[in-house]
Amino acid sequence: MIPLHFSHLQALLLFALLISLAFGTLGRRKPIERVKYAAWSFAMFLLVGITLGWLMFPFSR
Amino acid sequence: MISSPQQEAGETPSPARAVAVALAGWLVPGLGHALLKMWGRAMAIFLTVGCLVYLGAGMRGNVFVPGGEDAFSRLGYLADLGTGSFYFVARALEVSGADVSHADGDYGTRFLATAGVLNLLAALHAYEAARGRKA
Repeated sequence: MIPLHFSHLQALLLFALLISLAFGTLGRRKPIERVKYAAWSFAMFLLVGITLGWLMFPFSR
Repeated sequence: MISSPQQEAGETPSPARAVAVALAGWLVPGLGHALLKMWGRAMAIFLTVGCLVYLGAGMRGNVFVPGGEDAFSRLGYLADLGTGSFYFVARALEVSGADVSHADGDYGTRFLATAGVLNLLAALHAYEAARGRKA
């Protein structure tokens, strides 16, 4: 198969999107609640991931 | 208590059937929910686990094999095995082997492990739904 290359942000976005969709589908029954939960989960993944990234930045060099 | 479509249809929950549903869901991601006629969830799990496995293998993540030397390898193998039959798909896709010397490969390893843990979570969810506990 063709090797896939992603930047850190692209990998984070892909991971957050896929897991959030699964969480939304598994965690809620009604479609609107699924969308809300998936959106919330996606936002939290990004917020926590980017925050942790910046917190580690001073120690990266 | 929220019931699954089977309870709504008047079917009695059977522990043996619930175990069979969970095993089916582990072996083929989404099959457990498909057996319970939860089509949306079945499709979502199949596609999510499938995408994670494909991306993880494409990024040349580490597909752990049995008999690892350290605890990390053994835990990684257990997590990868969580994808059921997709474990062998990952091994078949990754013909050139793992390359964790770059960030891509490291992320790929996490994608594969997450696919396995997510599938185990989905199988447990299918078990609970088959028992009529929640859905």
